[in-house]
Amino acid sequence: MSTPRRRIGFYRWIVLALIILGIYITGAFPPIQPHVQLPAEAISEPLFTLPVIGEFRMTNTLLATLIADVLLILMAFGVYRATRDPKNIPGGISGLVSTIVEALYGLVETTAGKWARRIFPFMATIFLLVLTANLMELIPGVDSIGWLHHVEEGGHGYPVRYVGSLGLLEKAAEESHAEAGYSLIPFLRVASTDLNFTIALALIAVVMTQVMGVRAIGPSYFGKFIAFGNFLKMWVRERLGPFDVIFPFIDIFVGLLEMVAEFAKILSFSFRLLGNIFAGSVLLFVMGTLVPMIQSGFLFLELFVGFIQALVFSMLTMVFMTMAMQSHGNHEGEHA
Amino acid sequence: MQITPEVAQILVQGLKYLGAGLAMVGTLGAGLGIGILGNGAVQGIARNPDTAGAIQINMILAIAFAEAVAIYALVVALVILFVG
Repeated sequence: MSTPRRRIGFYRWIVLALIILGIYITGAFPPIQPHVQLPAEAISEPLFTLPVIGEFRMTNTLLATLIADVLLILMAFGVYRATRDPKNIPGGISGLVSTIVEALYGLVETTAGKWARRIFPFMATIFLLVLTANLMELIPGVDSIGWLHHVEEGGHGYPVRYVGSLGLLEKAAEESHAEAGYSLIPFLRVASTDLNFTIALALIAVVMTQVMGVRAIGPSYFGKFIAFGNFLKMWVRERLGPFDVIFPFIDIFVGLLEMVAEFAKILSFSFRLLGNIFAGSVLLFVMGTLVPMIQSGFLFLELFVGFIQALVFSMLTMVFMTMAMQSHGNHEGEHA
Repeated sequence: MQITPEVAQILVQGLKYLGAGLAMVGTLGAGLGIGILGNGAVQGIARNPDTAGAIQINMILAIAFAEAVAIYALVVALVILFVG
């Protein structure tokens, strides 16, 4: 060992020191359970008023979405700058993003085949956006730093200990009631816990699936939903076997079912992502109250779940787009 | 017994907890479904180890569908507890 290195196992002492510091701090300042609610909380006064919808306030999930967007644009810019340089191989974060994009493109090519170039931008953008939004849950400070506001009757309130001009909510020795009660509205909340974000993504995915289908097959793509072709042929043919009368009605029914399935896809996409990430954040809150020392173990679970949900959302989008772009040419071939 | 507003509030809160607990019984089906999927995937890999990558991707896709039903049940339970 010619080069001087730190002693093997240096970083494990730092981790041990942090663990002991964490145990001591959670003993001194026991964490409270924050107020959990499904709709996002507003963190500012009404900024402006739209004519039909009403007043517009900045909510904490909207702020988190904007930060995720800015992070993605910065990453894209960084990778662009790194790949323009012909001498150096991109390293660090640019290399990581390049690896992820290559792996995703390989995945899209094995599933989509010749339509990979058209499907890949949507699939990769949805993956990276949902992944960035989910990973923001793990950053300390998200969901825990925010405005303190007075709680009215009937809600849980906690007393405040002031450290300088910052306030810390603390568990009271006895149950305190509403006069001393304060509660927390976080500045940043995970974007995927807001139903608006997930429904918007699901709508984009399903509408773009239809657009892709029309671009690949043409307007006869809608013949999947409105399947009157066989029905009309039934009136024109001379000789009708018994099945030639039954199949057209079944085709019409199946077309209606397909249309209902498209709407079910929107609901399924949005609630799958919302349920997983919202349940994960509630789990982190509850574990932070019950066993504050080992809450970090659940952060690993949240990391895994966030990654898997991003992958599942984008892979399902890719699979549905591929299925939409394949012409259902089998049906026309049979009744020749 | 007279049902005053305080008693009514306690009753509603208790029934909310009961409802949320009952709503989670639906996750039984998802657990069974994912187990059956895992069984099929592992047997497929055992028969044909070369296709392990493709089988794994399809298994993850199908598990996402099966788990979504459990997530619907969870969302119903959370809505019962925390909304209204």
